[in-house]
Amino acid sequence: MDKMVAVLGAALTTFNRRKDGSSFRDWAAEATDAAIAMAGLERAEIEMLVVASESDFFTLQLNPASVLANDLGLSGAAAFRVEGGGASGQLAVHAGVQAILSGTAARVLVVGVDPSASQLPAAAMKELYSYSFDFWHEGATGVSATALYALSVQGAMERLGLTDDDLAAVTIGNRDNARLNPNAHLPRQHTAEEIAASPMIASPYRRLHCSPLSDGAAALVLAAEASVPAARRSAARIRGIGAATDRVHLGARTAPDHFAAKTTAMGRACTMADVTPEQLEAAEVYDAYAGAQIQALEALGLSSDIVVDLRGDAFGRGGRCPVNLSGGLMGQGAPVGAIGVAQTATCALLVEGRYHDGLQPATPPALALADTHGGVCTTAAVTIVGQGAAA
Amino acid sequence: MKHTLTLDYDLAAGWLRPFVEGLAEGVARARRCDGCGRVSFVPLRVCDCGKAHGSWIDLPGTATVSRRTTGADGDFGLVTFAGADTKTVARLDGFGPGDRQGAIVRPPSALPAIILRPEPKVA
Repeated sequence: MDKMVAVLGAALTTFNRRKDGSSFRDWAAEATDAAIAMAGLERAEIEMLVVASESDFFTLQLNPASVLANDLGLSGAAAFRVEGGGASGQLAVHAGVQAILSGTAARVLVVGVDPSASQLPAAAMKELYSYSFDFWHEGATGVSATALYALSVQGAMERLGLTDDDLAAVTIGNRDNARLNPNAHLPRQHTAEEIAASPMIASPYRRLHCSPLSDGAAALVLAAEASVPAARRSAARIRGIGAATDRVHLGARTAPDHFAAKTTAMGRACTMADVTPEQLEAAEVYDAYAGAQIQALEALGLSSDIVVDLRGDAFGRGGRCPVNLSGGLMGQGAPVGAIGVAQTATCALLVEGRYHDGLQPATPPALALADTHGGVCTTAAVTIVGQGAAA
Repeated sequence: MKHTLTLDYDLAAGWLRPFVEGLAEGVARARRCDGCGRVSFVPLRVCDCGKAHGSWIDLPGTATVSRRTTGADGDFGLVTFAGADTKTVARLDGFGPGDRQGAIVRPPSALPAIILRPEPKVA
C-alpha cells in the first residue's frame, strides 16, 4: 500500500479517423491540456514527460518526445519515448510510475499518441504492423497480425468450447458500450448475423471481429503522494504494475493459445498491490480481436469459469466486473501508442466516479485493471488502479 | 500534403544467417541445443533449458499443419517440421481443404519466407 502513485489528471481525445487537418501534435496537446487542468497543476511543475508512440513510421519523428516537450511547454523537463508494440502506452505509464517511486521525479506527464488511421494507407499500416512480430520469420513470410491472432485463438476456442456466438458477443458488447462513449470511433449496434456476414479476414476472424485503425491521444498526470494537492486527495491511485514477455514466435510457446505473459504480468501487479484478481471490479482489456478479449480474461484470472461468466454476462455493464466499458479497442478505437494510456485514464476516471454517463457504475469500482499487450501477447503490461482518499 | 518515403535496406541476417541461407535453398535449417538436444525451427538462439550453445541441422523439410487460417489475408498454418520440437508459422501455398502435410519450398524473393506446398498424396 505504500507504493502508490496518484493519477491527478486523466484525459482522452476522440478516437477516430481524423479528416480535419489536425495532427498528432494537436491531439497530444488537447489531451495534455485537459489532463493538466484536471490535475490542478502548472506546466512548470511537470518534471518528466514520457511519450508512448509505437513507430517512427507513424509520426515521422525519430524523437517525438523532444518535439512534444517543445509543443507542450515542457522545456526543461526530462523527456523520452517508450515503445513496446501495442503495449507502448501501458509501458509508458509504468515508466512514469517507476520514476515517481524511485524518487527521480515527483510529477510526470504520460502522453500516448499515434496517427494510426489517417496518414498512411491501410495496406501500408498492415505491412508495418507485420513488423510488430519477428520480421525474419513471420514478417517475411507475409503473415498478418489477424492471421497470427487467428492461429492463437483457434486453440483457445477448442479448449474452452467457445463458438462463433461467443466471439460475436464480444464485438456486440464492446461496440454497444461505445455507443455511450462520446470519444468512441465505432459506436455501433451490431447483430450476430451481421458479424457472420462480414468478410472473412483470417478464419475464424471476420472483419467485425477486428479493432479499427484510429487516430488519437491520451494523457495522464501522475504524482508522488507528497505532491498531491489538497484538492486532489481523492484522485485515483495506481497501486500495482506488472509486465512480462513470452516467446515472440507462437510456435515456440508451450501453449500458443494461452497468453502466458499476461498471467505473469498480472501476478506481479497483484503482488505489488496486495490484491487478488477476484477483487477487481472493472477492467479495460486489450481486445485487438474479439477472441483476444476472451483469451485475456482467462489469462488475467478474472474468472474461474470463463465460459460461464462470458455467457452469464459477468463482464457486461451490469456485471460483477464490467469489461471495456469504454468500448475497448473494438469500439473506442486503437491509436496504438495511446491505447494503454487511455485504458489507465479510463480506469482512473471510473474509480473516481467521473466516467461518462450511462457507463459509470453507480458505485465506483474500488479497483480497476488496465490490460495491454504487444504482438500476440508477446509483451504484456497491466496496471491496477484503486481509489484515493475519501473526498 | 503528400510525402513519399522510400527506404532501400541492405539487411544483415546476423546469427540467423544459416537459417536464412537455408530458406533461400528451400531447406529447413534448425537449431539443436547442445545442452538438451531440443530442436527449434524457427531457430531459438537460447533454448528453453537456458543453454545458448547450439548446432545447425538440416531437417527433412516436411511439415504437419496443426492449425490453419484462411481468408482475405491468405492461407497460413501453425506447423511442425519433421525433426523439430517446436512449431512455426508458415504460408500454405496450394493447400486443399483437407491437406495437412506439406514440404518447404524456395521463397519467390530473397526474404526468408517459410512456404509449404502440399506433399503428393501416397496412393
